[in-house]
Amino acid sequence: MAKTSRSPRFWSVRKLLGAAALGLLATASSQASAADPIKIGVIAEAQAIAGASIPQAAQMAADEINAKGGVDGRKIEIISYDNHSSSADSVRAFQRAVNDDKVNVVIASYISEVVLALEPWASRLKTPFITPGAASNEISKSVHSDYEKNKYTFHGYLTSAALALSVCDAAKELLVEQKHMKSAVIMSEDAAWTKPLDVGYEECLPKIGLKVLDHIRFSPDTTDFTPIFNKIEGSKPDVIITGISHVGVQPTVQWKNQQVPIPMLGIASQATNSTFGKDTNDAADGVLYQGVSGPDVAVTPKSVPFAEGFKKKYGNYPSYAGYTSYDEVYYIADAVKRGGSTDADKLVAALEKTDWEGTIGRVQFYGKEDPFTHSIKYGKGLVTGLILQWQDGKQVSVWPKEIAKGSLKFPSFIKVTAN
Amino acid sequence: MLAFQILIDGFAISALYALGATGFTLIFGVSGVLNLSHGAIMVLAAVAAWAAASVLHLDTYAGALIGVAVGMVAAFATYFAVVQPIQRSTRIANEEKEIFVLTGTLLWGIMIQELIAYFFTNNAKTVLPIVGGVVNILGVRTPKNEIFTAVMCCLAIGLLWLLVNRTRTGKAVLAASMNPRGVTLLGLELTRIYVVVWAIYGILAGIAGVLLGMFLGVSSYSVGPLTASAFSIVVLGGLGSVSGSLIAAFVVGYLETLTAYLVSPAYRTIPALLLLVAVMYIRPQGLLGRR
Amino acid sequence: MAAFFKSRLFFVSLAIVVIAATLPFYVSGYVLGLLTVAYYFGVFAMSWDLLFGFAGEVNFGPTFLIGVGAYTAGILNNQYGWSVYLCVALGALAAVIAGLVLALPALRVRGPYFGLTTLVAVLILQNFVVVFADLTGGEIGLTIPDVITIDPNVNYWIALGFMVISAAILYGLSQSPIGLVLQASGQDPVQAGALGFNIVKHKLAAFIVSAFFSGLSGALLVFYFGTASVGTVIDIAVGVNVIVAAVLGGRRTVLGAALGAIFLIVAGEFLRPTGELATFIVSAVALLVVLFFPGGFLGAALSREGRS
Repeated sequence: MAKTSRSPRFWSVRKLLGAAALGLLATASSQASAADPIKIGVIAEAQAIAGASIPQAAQMAADEINAKGGVDGRKIEIISYDNHSSSADSVRAFQRAVNDDKVNVVIASYISEVVLALEPWASRLKTPFITPGAASNEISKSVHSDYEKNKYTFHGYLTSAALALSVCDAAKELLVEQKHMKSAVIMSEDAAWTKPLDVGYEECLPKIGLKVLDHIRFSPDTTDFTPIFNKIEGSKPDVIITGISHVGVQPTVQWKNQQVPIPMLGIASQATNSTFGKDTNDAADGVLYQGVSGPDVAVTPKSVPFAEGFKKKYGNYPSYAGYTSYDEVYYIADAVKRGGSTDADKLVAALEKTDWEGTIGRVQFYGKEDPFTHSIKYGKGLVTGLILQWQDGKQVSVWPKEIAKGSLKFPSFIKVTAN
Repeated sequence: MLAFQILIDGFAISALYALGATGFTLIFGVSGVLNLSHGAIMVLAAVAAWAAASVLHLDTYAGALIGVAVGMVAAFATYFAVVQPIQRSTRIANEEKEIFVLTGTLLWGIMIQELIAYFFTNNAKTVLPIVGGVVNILGVRTPKNEIFTAVMCCLAIGLLWLLVNRTRTGKAVLAASMNPRGVTLLGLELTRIYVVVWAIYGILAGIAGVLLGMFLGVSSYSVGPLTASAFSIVVLGGLGSVSGSLIAAFVVGYLETLTAYLVSPAYRTIPALLLLVAVMYIRPQGLLGRR
Repeated sequence: MAAFFKSRLFFVSLAIVVIAATLPFYVSGYVLGLLTVAYYFGVFAMSWDLLFGFAGEVNFGPTFLIGVGAYTAGILNNQYGWSVYLCVALGALAAVIAGLVLALPALRVRGPYFGLTTLVAVLILQNFVVVFADLTGGEIGLTIPDVITIDPNVNYWIALGFMVISAAILYGLSQSPIGLVLQASGQDPVQAGALGFNIVKHKLAAFIVSAFFSGLSGALLVFYFGTASVGTVIDIAVGVNVIVAAVLGGRRTVLGAALGAIFLIVAGEFLRPTGELATFIVSAVALLVVLFFPGGFLGAALSREGRS
């Protein structure tokens, strides 16, 4: 784990100097000299699989940029903070990052709850802030509804609405056109990001020809999924469309142990990580999940080198938030270069004009007029996401067909309707 | 169909609760200790079984045995590193020992939980079941593993019953739970009995943990809820009463299953919590407790 | 002896408070932010100590009172946009009512049974927040439109002032006849009752006071963070921290509880370079203190003082 370990600097000697000297120093330090590093604070869930990749990928991007001489001679410095998956710890880390460690921009968290708690602080402390993995629509909607106040927040991952679209686009080709499926049950955990996701599912699934028979929301604390699967089976759908992130291993293993004969497709954040197969004793085989990228998938020419480089450095492939976090460091550096400054407002203006080909596709942000202001654009030629399937303990891309490496393959207990 | 479904699923989960709670109540009955690191020991056993299979590539049986062994070692460590020093401490007033044991074991449990998260992340882990596949019971597709879980729980509890009622050691343990001073007068060393009880507890918690890992899966987040559920069941049944705990485990298990099936999985735990509050008001000593 | 010691403790406390009040002039904003949270936490721990340390109730439910205060204040602000101060006051009031509800079983059951009741109270509150997600924000957490201020210095002084006032009242109460009756009832309720003290009345009073300060502190914390979530103010883990803080600092000392809370939070931050092991180390240190200095920091200091 490459953490920037800095001993906490509690008593700042500088502040002991008189008020006059303090003012002088303050003006001096605000004018960035060429040697000043660009500081990026990374607040993430170090113990969670999806979150652990965030600081690692950011550090990797920074090392690469620094090895090439940095940005106009300025190095990039990553300062990481573990938030223990807690909003309160994140708020404290954010304050520390801005007030004490003087970071220029913050990358934080894959949990929508945490990001929504940090968003007002980005406004209060006027510090640009990008999330690599949270999905809630509310993040970018708040930017739209009060642009002047909330413009500091950027959403570097697809919104739940876009995720639902991505799943529906894939389900149309994979399930309706190829397997002639007709009905679905939505199964999602009760969390900030799944509310708009479910709304999106309810809207787009019937349009592609999948009738929604039932809609089950469950608490993220659930450990026994037997009643849930039984209820789903009772309504006899052709497919289960998922929206899960906090849970993953347990429903997957119980799905296999109980031999629930219905395939699962949808958002399953934990399945994006390469250790998921091992954690579930390969019960994951057959699970279809949406991702922004994956090992062996050349979404762009940058994807595979990043995934392989990451594995070489940290021993495992990155989670989905690793890809986005890696890209974010690059386009932040790009924005600093284009804007010529780390000043918050100038950086925000430069970030808005981002047009960066990263590991997940072509990254651009929606503008002020769009309801999802500052969220990354979804669509062909931009970021579409992809669908992968766990097959024999490996993640294999199956959609879109331009980059697919395999076709659908299910374990024997699954009955894929082909009527 | 639904009735059978509830009957079968409820039985497996109740049996697991019962096994988890039995050891917990036994310890309290004999030595007056409420071990709040209970959930951590169960999770540790399950994670050890997982690691033996996934990291060391041992087979399922060896993994399960290692899990149970780790559960026992953890129980001993809890006793010798935390509980015994507090009980023997001269600096802690006797009437305060109970709260110090609670605080001490609570901290100990957090330490175990954090170590698990540090080495194995806080993601859920599942132990590969010893028996796979499903069978059809009266139209209900039941995983064989679920039946295995229920059978193992009943077996372990049955063996415990035999041990306590049919062996000399067991009778000494039983006697100690009724009257510790009397046992010492009979020339039996109380510490010895405590060690035996903690060993039994460790094995029970280890088995329960490994079975839970196979049946539902565990993560370091499960530590708190597992301790809380064992605590609730034991208090509901009456502290120190093993048969009370068994009854309470089935009441809670079936109440949860019924709620999950008939109302909504989201409200699963609420009726059991309300029942607990009601029992506290009407019959504070629990179902079969002595005052 | 007692009088001398008391005055000495008073002067030491006064000196500490004066030094603490001047901190904003020479430490960084981050340290202030950290201490702000620690001070609110200190009030949680002191309130808990009054109930538990003195009244002898095994109480696992500090976050029941804190959570009710915090969420009431947060929801009122979020739903009706009432002023922060009104919301804080109503939050404290709601916590007092919650304290009365919690006090009912305490008068009937004791020891582990009461401990479990308080634990269940927290779990029920947690479920309530999740089930009524439309009102409470559910697992997501509640976003609070208003904060007291974003100036770290002002926030710091508010928290410090609040803690000092709370400490004065709670400590005063613990040294008053009420505190002594509570302590007696905690050690031997039958005898204390036989001596003619109205234990029920005293315990109710303790619950009300403890609930008031817990709720007030919870509400203020919400308006400092600008967010309320189960993980911040209700989760069992938060309650465990409150208990650990009080035991670390020294039970039945009230002031020690505040010290313990500050130690916990500051130590957690000092250990940040150890990454994920920070919580492990803090727990291990706390366990060692429990095993070897059962009186806690202040308890150990006071007994040394007493001996010399």
